[in-house]
Amino acid sequence: MIYSSLLFIYGFLPLSLLVYYLMPRKAQTPALLAMSVIFCGLFGLRYLVFVSAYALINYGAAGLISRYRGKNEMASAVFAIGVSFDIISVFVFRTELFSPLRSAFGFPERFFPIGISFMALSAIGTLIDIYSGKEEADSDIVRFSLYFLFFPRLIMGPVLRYRSFVKVLESRRSELDEIGVGLTIFVKGLSKKVIAADTLYILYEAVRSTDVQDMSILTAWLGIIAYMLCLYFTLSGLSDMGIGAGYCFGMRMPQSFNYPLFSSRIRYFGAGWHIQTVQWMRRYVTKPLYSHFNGRIVRRLLFICVWAIFGFWYTFSLNGLMWGVFIGTAITIESRINRGKIIDSTGIIYTGIVVMMSGALLSGEDAVYSFRYLLAMAGSGSIADKFSFYLVKSYIVILLICMYASTNLFRNMMVRSGKNRIRIAFAAISPLVVLAALILCTALMMYSGDSGMILMKL
Amino acid sequence: MTKLTSKITAVLILVFIGVCMVFGMFGNKKLRSSDENRELSKRPALSRSSLIDGEFAEMLGSYTADHFPLRTNWLKLNSKLLEETGEGIVNGVYVADDILLDADTSRRASSGSCVAEINRFARDYGGAVYVVAVPTSSGVYRERLPEHLDVYRESQQISDFYDRLNKDIKRIDAYNILKMLNDNYIYYRSDTKWTSYGAYCVYRTVIQKLGFLPTTFDKYSIRHVTSDFRGNLYNRSLCTSVKPDIMDFYYCNEGAEVVSCTGIYNSGKIVDKRIYDDQQLDSDYVYSAYLGEEVPLLKIKTSVNNERKLLVIKDSYADCFIPFLTQHYSEIDVITPELLEGSASSFVDFGDYEQTLFLFGIENLSDSSIFAALNR
Repeated sequence: MIYSSLLFIYGFLPLSLLVYYLMPRKAQTPALLAMSVIFCGLFGLRYLVFVSAYALINYGAAGLISRYRGKNEMASAVFAIGVSFDIISVFVFRTELFSPLRSAFGFPERFFPIGISFMALSAIGTLIDIYSGKEEADSDIVRFSLYFLFFPRLIMGPVLRYRSFVKVLESRRSELDEIGVGLTIFVKGLSKKVIAADTLYILYEAVRSTDVQDMSILTAWLGIIAYMLCLYFTLSGLSDMGIGAGYCFGMRMPQSFNYPLFSSRIRYFGAGWHIQTVQWMRRYVTKPLYSHFNGRIVRRLLFICVWAIFGFWYTFSLNGLMWGVFIGTAITIESRINRGKIIDSTGIIYTGIVVMMSGALLSGEDAVYSFRYLLAMAGSGSIADKFSFYLVKSYIVILLICMYASTNLFRNMMVRSGKNRIRIAFAAISPLVVLAALILCTALMMYSGDSGMILMKL
Repeated sequence: MTKLTSKITAVLILVFIGVCMVFGMFGNKKLRSSDENRELSKRPALSRSSLIDGEFAEMLGSYTADHFPLRTNWLKLNSKLLEETGEGIVNGVYVADDILLDADTSRRASSGSCVAEINRFARDYGGAVYVVAVPTSSGVYRERLPEHLDVYRESQQISDFYDRLNKDIKRIDAYNILKMLNDNYIYYRSDTKWTSYGAYCVYRTVIQKLGFLPTTFDKYSIRHVTSDFRGNLYNRSLCTSVKPDIMDFYYCNEGAEVVSCTGIYNSGKIVDKRIYDDQQLDSDYVYSAYLGEEVPLLKIKTSVNNERKLLVIKDSYADCFIPFLTQHYSEIDVITPELLEGSASSFVDFGDYEQTLFLFGIENLSDSSIFAALNR
């Protein structure tokens, strides 16, 4: 049951809110765990067993590392086993490398543990923190399991350090206005997914249905803009829905995206895209490596390597790796250019071009296709044809609205307007806007009951 | 956002969700949706396997959607929204200005196994076999579809299908006849199927191949039985912006009459049927007014006095076509293989017929099991 489904919005979410707010505060954490267990169970009992085992194994590893920390070898051994387990389990389910292992444990071919990529990052980070003594292992098994199973965090993160998660959990407020904020974020995410991403996906599919070798420039660019916007709206939509649902329980988790697509610098794109995951990479990969290497060029190469790992984490294929290398290299080159020389409008244009080119790398099913697509974008075919005009005619309005929605222009307008009339007027109509958006999304989901296209299984 | 706005939002949204949820859970449950022309899903039963795979949640999801309060109105809103945005494709149905066209290419597959089954039938059969593959409206009006949705060329598919049939099977090219006449009302606006008039146009050629002179158009009196017919493409899209269709019954003045018409079910139950069944006009599936509710085997006897018998093996495309044949044969037996549970030879003796006519919509030939009953 994905968040963007009628069953979640008109069944699971209201019922779990009802149960949660009927509980005394002390019983709320176990209640959240119970509801998360049900949520996981709805993906299949097999999945529930998998996630529970995953949480328990990490709980055991964390406890052992903490206990043996004085005696170095034992702690190292447990740490190594724990981290290997986490890494291998991602590879088992996200690649074909270990398919015999997968079938040996009785998992069917199409089984995919949702959120495994985020869970693995959380688990590895926590084990590292405990091993290095930055954090104590938590003996509270309910809270520790909730760290993995908490349903608003399950599908699309955010990756939080264990300490931050506990802080969010313990400082939660049960107030009506918190639910209002949560529902607003939830509906915002839902609209991103159901209205924007699903429409853009059709455009992207239409472009993909044509032969890349005689694709016109305009078609290629339309397709890739649609893909990048669709990816952004899918990932950030699902993440918003999770965060919004979290707010409804009074838990304030941070946003995962900060309007990355049309930034004025490539590094702003890097800083605004899957923020917590990028931070995770910096904290647990880049920094430890930097402490060993001092040379400027070596560090630059390391920086690109870490981006390559980050890209690889998305697809577990060469394409993601290339995407990471491309973005990492672009940020490195940009940092060498004299910053004073670039004005914002130039920045937006070249960032846009780089990001869209990176999209061609990420979207292809293999490297050859991606390079052909890049060639089409560069102009191996005609400039425009009948098909591209048809696409422009059909999608231009949606495309422009989506592009506007993916920028921070509206938020900036709200921030700048201070306490003036625009802000008050918007505050007055915002409940109705939220309701209207929810109604539109409900209508769009009615035929199939959900909006399950997720473009990328993480 | 101020606290007050947040509170108002919370109350408004929670009340809306709550009302929808309560009505969805405790409201009256319909078994069928007449607009979608399908059975709505039933409350899923808990079972071990469905819980393990997560299938239970999927069934619960479609149950929630199927019994959502005012589902039909939601779907109509959905249809309006999708029609106005993007390319105008609603659940795989392309909304051209005044006609709905099937644009869901994923539904189509090759017809390889159908060819094999027909060839096997023809090999064991003594008489002459005739095959008509009827295109859908999106085949005949393909220039109205956006180019990239027309990856599936029906003319190509039909000629591939014909090429693979045995040499001695006689093929009839319905595609080009219909294509030439496509200024006329030969296809429904809201259905993939042809109208009675479309069927008549092809009948003229088919009956000549079968060895008769066609009944001319002026011999028929035509009755408009409804101008409110909405077909399978409407059921899928619930798009109301395209006008509903007109359905016609063709009666031949001073021609032969149908003496008896009996339907036989798999269980052996025999019922009286009619060529045109007015009662079905009030049902959910108006199209079944042609030949009445579908049965595996239909036996038609006419007042024609030539002792000639024809076997028709068909799908729903033939329903409006068969009435035209009643002017030429004293007996016509009609098999719908899709509905047959046992083997066809236990119902009829193929040796009784000197001619067999296969009449199918090309869209239904992707179902590989459709002819399995013929050679069982």
